[in-house]
Amino acid sequence: MKSRLDGFYVRRPVRLSLTLLSVMLMGSGQVVAEGDVSSGRALFPQCAACHAVGEGAGHLFGPMLNGVTQRAAASAEGYRYSDGMKKAVDAGLAWDDATLDAYLQSPMSYVPGTKMAFAGIADESQRQDMIAFLKQIAVDGTGAVAADATADVVATPLAQEEPRPLARDTVVPEHGVLHLGRQALPEEVVAWDIDIRPDGLGLPAGSGSVEAGVDIYDTQCAVCHGVFGEGEGRWPVLAGGFDSLTDERPEKTIGSYWPYLSTVFDYVRRAMPFGNARSLSDDDVYSLTAYLLYLNDQVDEEFTLSADNFSSIEMPNVDNFIDDDRMEEPQYAAIVEPCMQDCLEGEAAVTQRARILDVTPDGGGDEDAGGSID
Amino acid sequence: MVSSSDKTIQSGARRAALKNGLRVGALVGATGGVGLTASGRASAEVTPDPLITEVQDWNRFMGDGVDANPYGKPSVHESDAVRRTVSWLTAENKSSINFTPLHKLDGIITPNGLCFERHHGGVATIAPADHRLMINGLVDTPLVFTMEDLERFPRENHVYFLECAANSGMEWRGAQLNGCQFTHGMVHNVMYTGVRLKHLLAEAGVSPRGKWLLPEGADPSHMTRSIPMEKAMDDCMVVFKMNGEALRPEQGYPLRLVVPGWEGNMWVKWLRRLEVGDQPWHHREETSKYTDLLADGTARRFTWTMDVKSIITSPSPQAPILHGRGRTVVSGLAWSGHGTVNRVDVSTDGGRNWNTARLDGPSLSKSLHRFYYEFDWDGSELFLQSRAIDEQRQVQPTKDALRAARGMNSIYHNNGIQTWHIRPDGSAENVEVS
Repeated sequence: MKSRLDGFYVRRPVRLSLTLLSVMLMGSGQVVAEGDVSSGRALFPQCAACHAVGEGAGHLFGPMLNGVTQRAAASAEGYRYSDGMKKAVDAGLAWDDATLDAYLQSPMSYVPGTKMAFAGIADESQRQDMIAFLKQIAVDGTGAVAADATADVVATPLAQEEPRPLARDTVVPEHGVLHLGRQALPEEVVAWDIDIRPDGLGLPAGSGSVEAGVDIYDTQCAVCHGVFGEGEGRWPVLAGGFDSLTDERPEKTIGSYWPYLSTVFDYVRRAMPFGNARSLSDDDVYSLTAYLLYLNDQVDEEFTLSADNFSSIEMPNVDNFIDDDRMEEPQYAAIVEPCMQDCLEGEAAVTQRARILDVTPDGGGDEDAGGSID
Repeated sequence: MVSSSDKTIQSGARRAALKNGLRVGALVGATGGVGLTASGRASAEVTPDPLITEVQDWNRFMGDGVDANPYGKPSVHESDAVRRTVSWLTAENKSSINFTPLHKLDGIITPNGLCFERHHGGVATIAPADHRLMINGLVDTPLVFTMEDLERFPRENHVYFLECAANSGMEWRGAQLNGCQFTHGMVHNVMYTGVRLKHLLAEAGVSPRGKWLLPEGADPSHMTRSIPMEKAMDDCMVVFKMNGEALRPEQGYPLRLVVPGWEGNMWVKWLRRLEVGDQPWHHREETSKYTDLLADGTARRFTWTMDVKSIITSPSPQAPILHGRGRTVVSGLAWSGHGTVNRVDVSTDGGRNWNTARLDGPSLSKSLHRFYYEFDWDGSELFLQSRAIDEQRQVQPTKDALRAARGMNSIYHNNGIQTWHIRPDGSAENVEVS
């Protein structure tokens, strides 16, 4: 739509009321969830590591959730549900506002044996928002993305701009060479400077025990890393693998490979749990780090890790890292002109071929594929 | 939704296919049993090409006017020139990788939409007005920059390749993936516009004790790597443009680090912080990952430089020879993290004899180089290899030499010579030869 205004064409966006839309989609006779769809959408990233929604969504670790409230429980085609979930359905589980609310509050206690090792959403209004969001996602994925996310951006007519401050009134800072940027405030540095070093520099105050780590691990980590750190699917194995580094298939875990404990603390604190980074308290991270040490046989079950005893922990593989000496390898060390003629004897014969193990996409099965990136 | 212009193209293509089908049918009927020439066409009684003798739809009817695509797109006939992933490489798609379609490209610049992606926590969506870059640690004045601040530093333009250290990593144990997109597609080459890191660091004033730098991303992985200060002060940049336009979201919009010649994992995307320190941090991506496990169980760390490497992009498994024997163009890419590429040699017999290829286009330090080798193919089977030599006179090694030096579990930094087996029918396969 265009209208003429002060000599400028202004595009007017068409905005649908999301709340209205969700009511329209649900049809009559159903109880309308009290929650707010856009608030629910904003909460969904914590689910997105395991559940996909939207156009073309497929199953991830958890089932695809397009139209989840419009299908029978545990009925998404092609998804392998847990025995616990199947049992619940046999016992009559169907998704409505009440059952979804109970499940989202504590998945593992509402449906024992579910694969959804997620601690749950404690806040009732957040659960309502989430349910409202899920209910308005159609089977084809409509509703997953905000309706106005793709709407045209409003072009602001120049005539309405505030008068700009005069350039000569700008305060130029004194620091540095070109006097650009501004001084960072101590609170800002504290908020972002979360890195930890092997010597303990950067460790926050706090402590956590193996015992406390068990519960946090089981609810926040086990879904991907397995109950005892053995890994699910292609997610990283966290424990074991000792003395495997010279094996044909080495198992590079925290215990068998990682040189420093600080790396565990730093990484969990900055990037885990996957899909909900920076959600753990410092004590939670101490507890998880302690539990990972326990899973790797480095401490006993009574152990408590703190800023004080952190540096006393030495990882078993610390001495097996060396600096880059590639240039001393035979193929690089001697700088020689390469051979141009009759360099190898006999005719070339094939010794390996991709067809034996065709793991190219569209080229056949990938079950036996070797190597991975993580 | 199909636009009217798409419909026109589709129906036009359908008509053309129909005509060609009729033509081929007529040829077969007319020539049955006549031998084929090198071009694959019948040697006798070639009928006039209706694409020439008949007026085609695109000769007669108007196409789209201007503004049909405010941001232009490739031709509908190029729909297979896309990035592709290999699903079994990673657990799911938010911490995963896809590959540049090298076999579809020429020259040295990678189009922005085809630069391979590697994320550790999905693509962060950041409004430039909301982005901040902080410098803290061992500096005189910890600073915060907005994007507007960064654009007021002296800007430079440089073409650099970015190669993932794991590029070709799946081939350490032997030939596995059929296509240079998958064996070598974790590389791209882009002209960046941005600011040298040394200018930003000078603004904050680096302490004499500051020997290391920790860049950090704003995405959910908060990616970090330790970079020695000499490298940071040498040619590293923070950049906001790629190939002239704003960085793509998947390449770190609005700001990424450029670490020329060094492994791609260090080129932190969505860059939000630079910390100066006196020791390396030994974070996850430089201990658990991106360390090179050797046969004796020790592992190399801080293996930053990407060594001299080359790959024949055509012919290759995804780009077979379709024209029969006769004049044939071998095309490929070569690069080195140590500088420019001096020379590329091509072998057609699995490394027995080598011919020096023709380097064409700009030869820039730490950039992809394009090479061509033209020859008359007699139609017999070939074992095509390429071998690059860089300005340090380092010669691209064989895969066997790398395995002899490092064992089978190094994963990273596989720059070994690739072999394509060209069969008499022109198809190509990823092999290794004696």
